[in-house]
Amino acid sequence: MAFVDDDRLHFRPRLRFLRPLPPAGNDTASGLMLPAADLARPGLPAARSARLRSSSWILLAAVLVSLFALLPLAFIVWVAVQTGWETVATLVFRPRVGELLVNTLLLVVLAVPISIVLSVALAWLTERSDLPGARLWAWLSVAPLAIPAFVHSYAWITLVPGLHGLWAGVLVSVIAYFPFLYLPVAAALRRLDPALEDTAAALGLGPWRVFTRVVLPQLRLAICGGSLLVGLHLLAEYGLYVFIRFDTFTTAIVDQFQSTFNGPAANMLAAVLVTCCFVLLGLEVLVRGEERYARVGSGAARQQQRTRLGRATLPCLALPVITTLLALGVPFITIGRWLIAGGADVWRLDEIGLALGQTLFLALAGALLATVAAMPMAWISIRAPGPLQRILEGCNYIVGSLPGVVVALALVTITVRIALPLYQTLFTILVAYALMFLPRALISLRASIAQAPVELERAAASLGRPPLKALWSTTIRLSAPGAAAGMALVALGIMNELTATQMLAPNGTRTLAMAFWSYSGEIDYASAAPYAFIMVAMSLPLTWLLYVQSKRMAGR
Amino acid sequence: MKSALSTLAGAALAIGLIVGPTLAADDGIVVYNAQHESLAKEWAEGFTKETGIKVTLRNGGDSDFSNQIVAEGAASPADVFLTENSPAMALVEASGLFAPVDADTLAQVPQEYQPTTGKWVGVAARSTVFAYNKTKLNADQLPKSLLDLADPSWKGRWAASPSGADFQAIVSALLELKGEAATADWLKVMKENFTAYKGNGTVMKAVNAGEIEGGVIYHYYYFGDQAKTGENSKNVEMHYFKNQDPGAFVSISGGGVLASSKHPKEAQAFLKWVTGKGGQNVLKTGTSYEYAVGKGAESNPKLVPLADLQAPKVDPAKLNSKKVTDLMTAAGLL
Amino acid sequence: MSFLEITDVHKHYGPVAALAGVDLSVTSGSRTAIVGPSGCGKTTLLRLIAGFEAPDRGRIVLDGEVLANGGAAVPAHRRGIGVVAQDGALFPHLSIADNIGFGMARGEDKRTERIVELAYIVGLDKAILRRRPHELSGGQQQRVALARAMAMKPRLMLLDEPFSALDTGLRASMRKAVAELLETAGITTILVTHDQAEALSFASQVAVMRDGLFSQVGTPRELYLQPKDRMIAEFLGDAIILPAKIADGFASSPLGRIAVDTKERRDVARIMLRPEQVLLKRTSREGMSGTPEMLFGEVTESEFAGSMCTIAVRLLNSPDPPDAAAIGNTPLILRKPGMDAPVVGEIVRLTVSGKAHVFA
Repeated sequence: MAFVDDDRLHFRPRLRFLRPLPPAGNDTASGLMLPAADLARPGLPAARSARLRSSSWILLAAVLVSLFALLPLAFIVWVAVQTGWETVATLVFRPRVGELLVNTLLLVVLAVPISIVLSVALAWLTERSDLPGARLWAWLSVAPLAIPAFVHSYAWITLVPGLHGLWAGVLVSVIAYFPFLYLPVAAALRRLDPALEDTAAALGLGPWRVFTRVVLPQLRLAICGGSLLVGLHLLAEYGLYVFIRFDTFTTAIVDQFQSTFNGPAANMLAAVLVTCCFVLLGLEVLVRGEERYARVGSGAARQQQRTRLGRATLPCLALPVITTLLALGVPFITIGRWLIAGGADVWRLDEIGLALGQTLFLALAGALLATVAAMPMAWISIRAPGPLQRILEGCNYIVGSLPGVVVALALVTITVRIALPLYQTLFTILVAYALMFLPRALISLRASIAQAPVELERAAASLGRPPLKALWSTTIRLSAPGAAAGMALVALGIMNELTATQMLAPNGTRTLAMAFWSYSGEIDYASAAPYAFIMVAMSLPLTWLLYVQSKRMAGR
Repeated sequence: MKSALSTLAGAALAIGLIVGPTLAADDGIVVYNAQHESLAKEWAEGFTKETGIKVTLRNGGDSDFSNQIVAEGAASPADVFLTENSPAMALVEASGLFAPVDADTLAQVPQEYQPTTGKWVGVAARSTVFAYNKTKLNADQLPKSLLDLADPSWKGRWAASPSGADFQAIVSALLELKGEAATADWLKVMKENFTAYKGNGTVMKAVNAGEIEGGVIYHYYYFGDQAKTGENSKNVEMHYFKNQDPGAFVSISGGGVLASSKHPKEAQAFLKWVTGKGGQNVLKTGTSYEYAVGKGAESNPKLVPLADLQAPKVDPAKLNSKKVTDLMTAAGLL
Repeated sequence: MSFLEITDVHKHYGPVAALAGVDLSVTSGSRTAIVGPSGCGKTTLLRLIAGFEAPDRGRIVLDGEVLANGGAAVPAHRRGIGVVAQDGALFPHLSIADNIGFGMARGEDKRTERIVELAYIVGLDKAILRRRPHELSGGQQQRVALARAMAMKPRLMLLDEPFSALDTGLRASMRKAVAELLETAGITTILVTHDQAEALSFASQVAVMRDGLFSQVGTPRELYLQPKDRMIAEFLGDAIILPAKIADGFASSPLGRIAVDTKERRDVARIMLRPEQVLLKRTSREGMSGTPEMLFGEVTESEFAGSMCTIAVRLLNSPDPPDAAAIGNTPLILRKPGMDAPVVGEIVRLTVSGKAHVFA
């Protein structure tokens, strides 16, 4: 979590290659082993090439997946070239684009810092203070992720019908996306070595200065990663801003798509949006720097102490209470209200059942594809890291950070122009999901492969399994829990996906999100409520998984 | 946890076997439906019930479907295309992708509700209205013409849904009636004057809530809401511009059979059914509140009769959607 | 005069008593080592002195100022007590210079000069100041931590196993250097360690802790040679513990007649010898004859480990009473210089130097 710490879209130094034991001198059998069972030091050139040879098929698979992932980007460049500079210039340098840029910029500049403050405060209260019910509040701080952003918006627009514009956008964005910051920050807080804080106190710093001078700087990585994730979601979000009438690039692209299909105007807006994503990615790399914040030294960190809030308990309790009310209370009350208003009539069971079945199918099939596609990449990044692997992984992350609307637009154009039989097929929509959510699967898989020692793979090989089977019977088996967690996260993303699904899904598809969107578009909020309810109900267990996973990654 | 992966995979497979077929139906006809989902569904169900021919609906909007069909060309999986407005039909027709509509079908619809080419046919109609909040505006304060909304006095007081094909159809009528220069100017001022909402229903909801005084939408949103709870229209009143004003434009919803259809007979039968008694009766009795256009077909009695609307005469085949989106993009509305 | 006075300090974590009534008195300028197995409560005591936690009960008084009295405690940042943690606890986000200067006021006069001076004192090169903690070796990190703690001119310095992460060779030299440094600076120091050799060589006062209580406090020599019980004896080093009958300042034991450090008379007692008190002299089976008052043994095992060699000696003519034969037949484990250690099968003559300690 935390896909969060942990679902963060980063390239960072990977775990070091696990060095195997040197060969035992008197072990005659080692001389007879198969190449895959090569027990020589990995540093030796011969051994390296042998390992690569045995894993070249995996490398090939990873390269193919990465090249595939680059399609949307290549496509945007291609469209720009094809459109010609003059048209591009008129479509990009116009007041409307400026307007959208200002909107998007203001949104990010306002919503991200507010989310940071809120998340850090909540994380500190739930992880480092004796706040009553800290565990419950911690979980409730993750739970808003179970509610699709457009359902948040739907709830707010019901509660405050005139809500619109920048501040409304900031409010709902913060509420919908702050958990992406809360998760890594809370995980980082848990991991901090309390000895550092003790030391700072012994050096004469009061509690507040300890926090600002020691704790906060060490949260920088988590804050950077989380902010990036929130920022990218703000850029990609569509439904949320439609409800509250706030135009961003993504809403404008969808408008253009609806008016002109895949015309150059839509594609050029997409190009600007992609540029924005790159700016965010670059900014994050810049701010993060090459810092290392890991524990210096060895030995187990001692258990952290929780700060006594004392008389401040009640005011402090107000923060999680208010946040929960806004982020969970409002949606639940609204959905409940519409469900009551709609009565039994809105439960069109055949329709809902079909949408539910289709959603589940797409979510699971997409999750499976994303996980399978991520496997070679994950394996390489743990077992054979190097410059090539970092480039390949970078491709996947960049595409994963692109808004769904851009990926979908690219796939629409590519399939329509080059591979029409694939247009609006199950295949294409699943590919889109895989491209969009590959990083989620990758992060979970990588973490679990890192925990499966390479020696097992070699042992299996030495026991006579050919490379593929050795891999299957050891590493893949052992990484199953991580794969399952990754799949769940991908499924969660797919379940709440709207724009790409609308643009790419095969004829006759109607997912829960699509049905919800279509009803709420017709202002039939009551009919939309059962869909919102089901989406939330299905996502809640997955966010629980996210919460548990982030705890485990922090070593608890 | 060890078996979680295989369990999930198994579940995916099982659901796939059950649901998969519904995602890729290859019997019956595929209809690209830009009409309201509920209306198309009623049509499809009625048709299937009568003929036994299965109908798969893909729902979307006028503009994305028309552009999509053009992009798909001869390989389009669609058999029938249904729209809310004419410009989308004109676009597909201009690309030569429609098969001629059967004469029997054309004969069921009066000349004025079909293009001269006979490549597609009107299946329903809707009228432009100015929906206003009756607690905020009196009848004598209403605009006389759509063009009046460009007046500085209307700044910040009216709304529309510029990304929707409905409003774009209205603009295409304006373009056809008043020419490119006048339309471009009007759009430029509109950008300053109006407030953008997404969807006509949302516009009406905002008008009803008093967020804004009025909005340019189609007539049936009001009747549809009235038929339900009236929650979003109880303060709303409708103003018909009449007088052959561009704002009195009546947009023809079209239906056409694609030349590339692999089931042309079934597709033609569908169009015939929609324009015939069964299909048109759905308009009268259903919840769509669109105007029926079939010969002798009656619209819902609650509506102002089509003949009383004094709509301007526009050849639907001439409505140019590409030009409209270009102009609106240039004006910064898209 | 007592500089730090700890009286009846209790601390519980849930149902577990980490400290069950600890008393300790530390004189000004002295070095005290608290030693005990892991989990005995020594680190908890350190944390209470530092002010990271408050005791449940008891008083901690430093230089006349009450730091803690029951739950009421002065917070750590107002105590002026320096702490060097096990792994240094350097701030990973700050340079070495900023780490050292962390406790100084930001606008302090000659801040940079003082940092350089402190670095020099702890033996760090000036060039290192611009680096980050992770670029330093373990020993260097500890020096930085020490310099950082000294920068605030602490009244009392607490060292929490600061040398345990270092290599063996480095550990000894660091220990010596730190001891001298603190001595020169006149800073009262408390060292917590589980390494008895470290405790004995570092401190002027050693306190052995077990199960949340001090079992013995005294000078290193006292504790080593006159431990209160067998456990303390074995904790502080190898010990040969024998049953004996004592009278008139002598014990009759499996090793013969040995001088003891008490005049009392007891028929059943246990005495302790440090292995280095048992001296060996090479001889042969022939040499054994005709000297019944002498004690001989045969080397049954020998394990060479460089400078030292561990050997097992089986007594050949123990004067042991038959009921203690079992003990007498257990070989003695002795550590002797590796250079000239007897080999397996050799016969040696054993003599005991100094007095044996009698357990109460």
